[in-house]
Amino acid sequence: MPLDYPIHRRTLPNGLRVVVSPDHTVPNVTVNLWVGVGSRHETLGRTGFAHLFEHLMFQGSRNVRSGEHFEALMAEGGRLNATTWFDRTNYFETVPTGAVELALWLEADRHGHLLDAVTQENLDNQRDVVKEEKRQRYDNQPYGSALIDVYAAVFPEGHPYHHPTIGSMEDLDAASLADVHAFFRRYYAPDNTVLTLCGDITPDAGFELVERHFGGLQASAGQPRRHHAQLEPITEPVRVDRHEVVPNDRLHIAFRLPVDETDEFLAAAVALDCIGGLGTSRLVKRLVRREQTALGAHATAWGLVDGASLGFVVLDVAPGTDAAVVEAAFAEELDAFLAGGPTEVELEASLAQSERSWLSALASQEERADLISHHLLLHDDPEVVNTHLDRLRGVTAEQVVAAAHRWLRPQSRAVVAYLALDEAADEGSEDAGSEAVA
Amino acid sequence: MSVVRPPVAPPRPWTYPSAAQHLMENGVRVLAHDLPGQYVLSLRVVVPTALSAEPPGKEGIAAMTARLLDEGSSAHDAEAFAELMERHGMVLGAGVSDGGLLVDVDVPKRHLETAAGLVREAVADAIFPETEVRRILRNRLAEIEQERASASHRAAKELARTLWAPGERAALPTGGTRETVGALTRDDLVEFHATSVGPQGATVVVAGDLTGVPVAEVLERTLGTWSAPRHRPVPPPAAPVPAPDAARVVVVDRPGSVQTEISVGRPGPDRSTPHGWAPHPVISFVLGGSPSARIDAVLREEKGYTYGIRSAFRPRVAGGSFVTAGSVRSEVTGEAVEILLTILDGAARAGFTDDELRSGVDYVAKTAPGRYATADAVADETAALALERLPLDFTTRTLRALPELTRNDLDAAYRRVVTGEWTVVLVGDAGTIVPALEGRVTGPVVTVDL
Repeated sequence: MPLDYPIHRRTLPNGLRVVVSPDHTVPNVTVNLWVGVGSRHETLGRTGFAHLFEHLMFQGSRNVRSGEHFEALMAEGGRLNATTWFDRTNYFETVPTGAVELALWLEADRHGHLLDAVTQENLDNQRDVVKEEKRQRYDNQPYGSALIDVYAAVFPEGHPYHHPTIGSMEDLDAASLADVHAFFRRYYAPDNTVLTLCGDITPDAGFELVERHFGGLQASAGQPRRHHAQLEPITEPVRVDRHEVVPNDRLHIAFRLPVDETDEFLAAAVALDCIGGLGTSRLVKRLVRREQTALGAHATAWGLVDGASLGFVVLDVAPGTDAAVVEAAFAEELDAFLAGGPTEVELEASLAQSERSWLSALASQEERADLISHHLLLHDDPEVVNTHLDRLRGVTAEQVVAAAHRWLRPQSRAVVAYLALDEAADEGSEDAGSEAVA
Repeated sequence: MSVVRPPVAPPRPWTYPSAAQHLMENGVRVLAHDLPGQYVLSLRVVVPTALSAEPPGKEGIAAMTARLLDEGSSAHDAEAFAELMERHGMVLGAGVSDGGLLVDVDVPKRHLETAAGLVREAVADAIFPETEVRRILRNRLAEIEQERASASHRAAKELARTLWAPGERAALPTGGTRETVGALTRDDLVEFHATSVGPQGATVVVAGDLTGVPVAEVLERTLGTWSAPRHRPVPPPAAPVPAPDAARVVVVDRPGSVQTEISVGRPGPDRSTPHGWAPHPVISFVLGGSPSARIDAVLREEKGYTYGIRSAFRPRVAGGSFVTAGSVRSEVTGEAVEILLTILDGAARAGFTDDELRSGVDYVAKTAPGRYATADAVADETAALALERLPLDFTTRTLRALPELTRNDLDAAYRRVVTGEWTVVLVGDAGTIVPALEGRVTGPVVTVDL
């Protein structure tokens, strides 16, 4: 079934790229902005800053007092938030149709005139809030820092994806008001931003409203730096062992992948599906169902734009099983996949699951708007919402094998192992939290 | 900026999507929501049961039965079943609440019949192969350890254990404990499935773009053939009885924690409360539903102690709770708990304001069209209505009641629940927390192991 979500596109004279995608089934409109700045733009000593900055966007701007953005929209039935990721920062709200202009006014005020209202007090307060976010989501969770270890193991120092979006406590402490001003001036500008309106609005009305509220903002973003060149796969296995108080051992086995929206990335993602992503993947069948040496097996491919993407497999080792046994079985399955390629059933299952999850995402106005903004900002192609599945259907077994041979060889893996401390207790607990890179 | 702040046009009236009803020959009620443009269909099967009817000492058997439904039928072994689901883009989950078993499926429209057929196999024909039983039970035991290691899960478990009277099913985890799960056998599960899971009283919900889908025929051919001759429906559950000593502070020692997970609870109503449900989500929003709500206005936006603390009424099929939960950095635990309880009790003493009433009502009422915009969300809500034995116009009637609410309604609803006595659970480093509570909380403080 070909998809035909309407995509009406226009660029304002100040560079703001706008898409209006009408859908009148629900009396709501989603306003979704993506700004071309994420943790990949952060400099040494300022990790976590893009995300901290995102918090400040809710603390008031020229005509909006601190907290009013949330309050004003929620009182009109708005549901809203913002997130920061490696490649971008997004801001979004879904509001009843009659409140869409208020949403655009609020967004334009902060995207154009944030600095009028930023104070040291707000910066200090949100720095504390972000530190609590870091403690809640990473530091106080079992395995909470595993992905941070994965990024550092897979990507070399200085690479945009070497450090996590949440940053470090030291760097958060170092963030100053001067940094806030410089960051806003450098990155927050209509020519580094895209805006999607999805829902109960016509293209004419949508473009007119966006023009009215954003037309006066000045283009000012600096020339974006060029993307890093594609990183080649790792040539020798990288290993990080963490001995921690965790309920069972867990292996995170990661690979560099080609950048997003390339045929090779899609093929590598299908390969990871077959190996560990599907509910009937090879790792699930062997380790979870038959040998029962793992409690669960999952695989993910994250498409990124700046010189590499990231693929990883997570294996939750069953209590009583040696993690090395599970890792050896993983390597065997990988070799078998490289030798034989995917079966027809695997390809069919991967495509069927991708289709459902893509259609489910598009079923919600919010997620549809987010996917449009994503592909508009990072790939200048919002039609991907309609074409992605056709492209996936074109992925062949040969492409999957070729991508796996290039990117998913056993020697190209970085393994971050979280090993339960109890088992190691007799050998001395001074190893707690220690890192060994071999 | 020269553009003036724009006015907001009032939203159009909206009602919850209506469902076409059909009664199948085997007695199963079908509720079908046609939602144009929703190409992934959501299918739910609701089987009324009562967790309190689990055999004593075998708590968790209902949840384990649910998990094993798709692990092998008389027609397909577990791997073949999983492969069939995946090749048809289907995803299936199954779980239980205090009042029922729920099977939850999403599938692209063209595969509805295959999906419904597999769901029939799961609910009617699961055969509980010994190896799969052993695996699922062993995984649950590992999951119990993982839940113990997670501060928020550990807090939820301790809150239930402290809030409800000993012997109440609600005091134990839905999925059972190490002891009760360890006691389960394949025979137990086969027997429980045969007697507790059947079509009598069951409801099937289908939501999505049903253009060209003969829903009644498709379901008659599949779930319409479901029979369970030994099925014995049980009466609906009763609300759990609170523990006589529920008003106390329990510290769960989690040495080295950099944050304290706070969970504060009271018994609360279910959605069938004769006083009306409408005030409850409004109160949740006003106290703990946003960064500007009473709690986060102080603990997050003023003090910077937390990423966010949420308050919510949590209705069960029978009874429920009012829970406020979140985490703060360890060294401010004492002050944060005192502030939190002061805010919660202060709302009972002084009541809510006109502004709070207006903004809370507007938020809950005006977000409804968006909250129920997808097939998934509509199927979930209609399945919840079936599970809770609520009428199908409940959601719309509750939304209609919102604009009529007064401050008195909010105050009365809150005061029915909040008496100044709280169950407080703190999961964190006891060595840091316990001394800091001195003089900040009333009632006994006990410390338990993780």
